Amino acid sequence: MTSEQSQNSTPKKGLTRREFVAMGLGGAALAACGLYLWPRLSRPKWREQTFIGKVPDYRADITGVILSGFKELGISPGEIRGKRILLKPNLVETDLGAIHINTHPAVIHGAGQAFLKLGAAQVIVGEGPGHCRDTLMLLEESGLAAVLWEDRIPFVDLNYDPGYTIRNPGRYSSLTQLTFPETLRQVDWVVSLAKLKTHHWAGVTLSMKNLFGVMPGSYYGWPKNVLHHAGIEGSILDIVYALKPQLAIVDGIVGMEGDGPIMGAPKQAGVLVMGRNLPAVDATCARVMGIDPRRVKYLAAAERFLGPIRETEIVQVGEGVAGVRSPFQLVDFIPAHKALLPLI
Amino acid sequence: MGIYDQTISSGISQLKERELESGGFAPRPRGPYRPEATCWAILALLDDPGSQPLIQRARSRLGASQLPDGRVCLSPDHPEAYWPTSLAVFAWHRSPEFQKNQALAVQFLLTSSGRHWPRRADSPVAHDTSITGWSWIAGTHAWVEPTGLAMMALRIAGYGDHPRMREGARLLLDRQLPHGGWNYGNTAVFGQELRPMPLSTAIALNALKSETPRETVQVSLAYLHQKVATFKTPRSLGWSLLGLGAWQARPLPARDLIYQCLANQERFGDYDTSSLALMLTTWRLRGGLEDIFAGTPRP
Repeated sequence: MTSEQSQNSTPKKGLTRREFVAMGLGGAALAACGLYLWPRLSRPKWREQTFIGKVPDYRADITGVILSGFKELGISPGEIRGKRILLKPNLVETDLGAIHINTHPAVIHGAGQAFLKLGAAQVIVGEGPGHCRDTLMLLEESGLAAVLWEDRIPFVDLNYDPGYTIRNPGRYSSLTQLTFPETLRQVDWVVSLAKLKTHHWAGVTLSMKNLFGVMPGSYYGWPKNVLHHAGIEGSILDIVYALKPQLAIVDGIVGMEGDGPIMGAPKQAGVLVMGRNLPAVDATCARVMGIDPRRVKYLAAAERFLGPIRETEIVQVGEGVAGVRSPFQLVDFIPAHKALLPLI
Repeated sequence: MGIYDQTISSGISQLKERELESGGFAPRPRGPYRPEATCWAILALLDDPGSQPLIQRARSRLGASQLPDGRVCLSPDHPEAYWPTSLAVFAWHRSPEFQKNQALAVQFLLTSSGRHWPRRADSPVAHDTSITGWSWIAGTHAWVEPTGLAMMALRIAGYGDHPRMREGARLLLDRQLPHGGWNYGNTAVFGQELRPMPLSTAIALNALKSETPRETVQVSLAYLHQKVATFKTPRSLGWSLLGLGAWQARPLPARDLIYQCLANQERFGDYDTSSLALMLTTWRLRGGLEDIFAGTPRP
């Protein structure tokens, strides 16, 4: 081998500046590609059912609609028999004659009767209102006290329930631990019995956001300001992840549009939306409201680990979304609403 | 004994039966000790001659649950939930044995505050977020009820002239709703005035007694006065009678309302300890909550 040959065939030591930059860029592109694709490829393949039932008003046979929903969702007497069921409605504030703020007592009655018909050992209703410490007054003024009295269904004020504390398994908010009411440990099923509403901080409040109400005010304050400071979206995800409720039923017979969750206007949507998977139920609700669920921050985040929000991964039973879609009015100067526009 | 006296007497017996073996009270029979239930039971039983040993045991239990910095929190593993401290100042008041506990609790109140921040022109909330008040839970914003309760506690403890009192009054007046009353502490959000709530209104009115001219709260007095006869539940009714009483505006049928509210237990079930004790306390007073130490005669 001549010295010339030797020179030509000897592998180069190191890279030229150009090669190094090119390789670096290539590597970065690959990494970015991986970062983009990994959550999508590694995301669980979901398939969850949600049921939509048409209900024209609160005088309708709501128990019957919920029983139909149970059947469609595969919730059988065998699964419910002997179980203790906690219904967690959305009970926030009352205003004379307003039926669009809280889960309507007729829906709570309907859900209670449906579970009892399937053989539940006990149905209880529990709520920890976020604004008002006089929970009994809310029960009375909303008409729920009369319904529960008639149905002989006990009520638990979760704000004053003794708490039990666990490490926060999700850590999607800054909370290191979560304190839940003791009542949750004494039931077999937790049912989020939410209201179909817009929300001026979270965009929408449905079955997931409704669970703020299980966190006792004694530990979280009135309002539950600890959760606000820790991050509303992250707190929603943490609570749902830790609690894993068994069912969601959303009262969209009359919901709230505009400046929800308190000061908005009534919106007749005429539906009950139900399902075992909360993100799937909330995504369906959002579509009913004319909102793309991927624009709701906490729903988009939930898709990675809590449940599906894509139409292709939600098996719609009962009514189809298109047949009941009824766009909810949003307020364009409220940032959380602006992020949801345009409506679908 | 008339029917009213029988009802009150039965309420006092019901309350006394809830004393825990280790002293203090739980919100519900057979439940775990809770400081706020204990404080309210002490206040309700203050004038009951047979209850003095029970009261001392309850005060001791309260003292045992006080943390070294003076706070009285919901439970030792939740020091952030320090809102019962103001009630403990009431529960230890005028008890020489617990003077140090009370002084320590007062010091805690004077040095603790809610989270506050400079007001921003583009803020979605209308109130002045920079005013210092008290929060329910450490690290959170100042709200109406904890601020009102802390102010009442400081006033009975002799700190009525403290700058924190003036700042607290400023906060409450800032959070008063333009159409009257208070809620938990937001006046308007995204330009919409929110609704008043009787309980928050009553606590704010009680706290502002002697801190502000009557005309500055007249709209709220009118709101509460107009609504009070419709209240059927102990927290709203009890506090409303105290809040109006603090301004010498207690409605005439107060005893009927209290009696009816206690009778409503038949429908609502037994009241929790704090609610029951609040009703029994309200029965004895004509004025605001602080009058419990003023020797005010029964109405």
